Amino acid sequence: MVSSINPSVKMIAVVIPGLVLSLAFDVVTPLVFLTFLLLVTFFFSGVRLKKWLMFFIPLSLFALGLAWTSMLHTDEKYAGGDMLVNFWWIEITTGSLQVGVSLALRSMCFIALTLLFALTTDPTKLMLSMMQQLKLPPKLTYGILAGYRFLPLFKHELDLLRQAHQIRGVSRTKGIKGRIERLKRYMIPLLANAIRKSERVANAMESKGFTGSRQRTHYHEIKVKKNDWVFLTSMITALAIAFYLSYTLGYLNIFGKTF
Amino acid sequence: MNQWKLKEIVLMSILGVVFGFIYLAFFGVGKVLYGFFAPFGLADMGYEIIYGIWFIVSVIAAYILRRPGAAFMAEMVAALVEVLAGSTTGPALLISGAIQGLGAELVFAATKWKDYRLRILILSGVGAACLSFPYHFFAGGFDAYENWVVILLFVTRIISAIIITGLLGKFISDQLAKTGVLRGYALGKELQQKKRDEDVV
Repeated sequence: MVSSINPSVKMIAVVIPGLVLSLAFDVVTPLVFLTFLLLVTFFFSGVRLKKWLMFFIPLSLFALGLAWTSMLHTDEKYAGGDMLVNFWWIEITTGSLQVGVSLALRSMCFIALTLLFALTTDPTKLMLSMMQQLKLPPKLTYGILAGYRFLPLFKHELDLLRQAHQIRGVSRTKGIKGRIERLKRYMIPLLANAIRKSERVANAMESKGFTGSRQRTHYHEIKVKKNDWVFLTSMITALAIAFYLSYTLGYLNIFGKTF
Repeated sequence: MNQWKLKEIVLMSILGVVFGFIYLAFFGVGKVLYGFFAPFGLADMGYEIIYGIWFIVSVIAAYILRRPGAAFMAEMVAALVEVLAGSTTGPALLISGAIQGLGAELVFAATKWKDYRLRILILSGVGAACLSFPYHFFAGGFDAYENWVVILLFVTRIISAIIITGLLGKFISDQLAKTGVLRGYALGKELQQKKRDEDVV
């Protein structure tokens, strides 16, 4: 199951394909990899299809926006091929259609990668794993975790501020100017409170003997197991296969150059 | 990092957390603008107009703490928090966070972390814009766009960085210093010193 993979390893396994995929401007490479990602998501992640689609569909609409931009304003390098549509100011050639679809598929890959990570990873475990495996300094780790735990409090404070303003009859001006004014009225007190809290937390940490030394023991030990390596290797292998397939089929296009 | 006091590290982390969530919220704003520009085939402009917001924690953290690395690390923490909170861009955000943070940090580094006047803060935002653009050119496939589109996007990002990152970033920090909560940090100390000098005069 993907949810039991070490969070740091999973993060690396998601970032690398994201970077490498950015090289490809053809349709086949992202399509093959997307197919692989969907298979992993549906058979090995335990994420419910309905939940997944709820995130995937709205995000994919923006992938279409990206495709639209690149289709309308295609660089000469990609815009070759026959004219498909020539209507008013819209000019679409086979080349620009191809690069548009490619970019849309690429962002769908990014979305699928992200969901594979985000829907199966526990934030606290990720932080602890980053401290234990990626050597993030304990001071920073616990600082971030403390800040993260404050979030419900921030929301509570925002409600308090709103009520306090209401009871004192602070007018809710409309329009852009009112919005900026409101932003200032909420933002500064909220941030000021956050800073006060951070100072208190730091004092509490120090008074309880937290030195931030790296030579420490961990209550929750997070290890790297064999399965984690299997996951990382299979992601990279699938990526290599995607590139290889599109190369053998003669589609591979890296930054406008066909191979 | 070793000369940092614990409370400075925790403050930076908390700033990172708070702004991580503000960054996430602005993705929503960006999406609305994105939809607005999409019919013209310039959907990316929606993000570029407000791009400066995504560099702001660098300037705020560096301006308040005045420590080498503050700009870079605060941006990294914000990116990490976005990932923790389940951003739709995912772990790839760490890379863009690192690049943006580095761009902001380089400007402070050029002054040897001594100069925190407005012009340096603005330059730091511009630094983040200049360094982050090539990365998005790469990851977003901007290579497929016509040249004028790419230039338009780039210029918009720089203007956004000047206004939002530089001016707004300094404004927020100064307002915070006025409340007195920053007394234990470099910016608050400077403000107190200034007040004392004025009293003497």
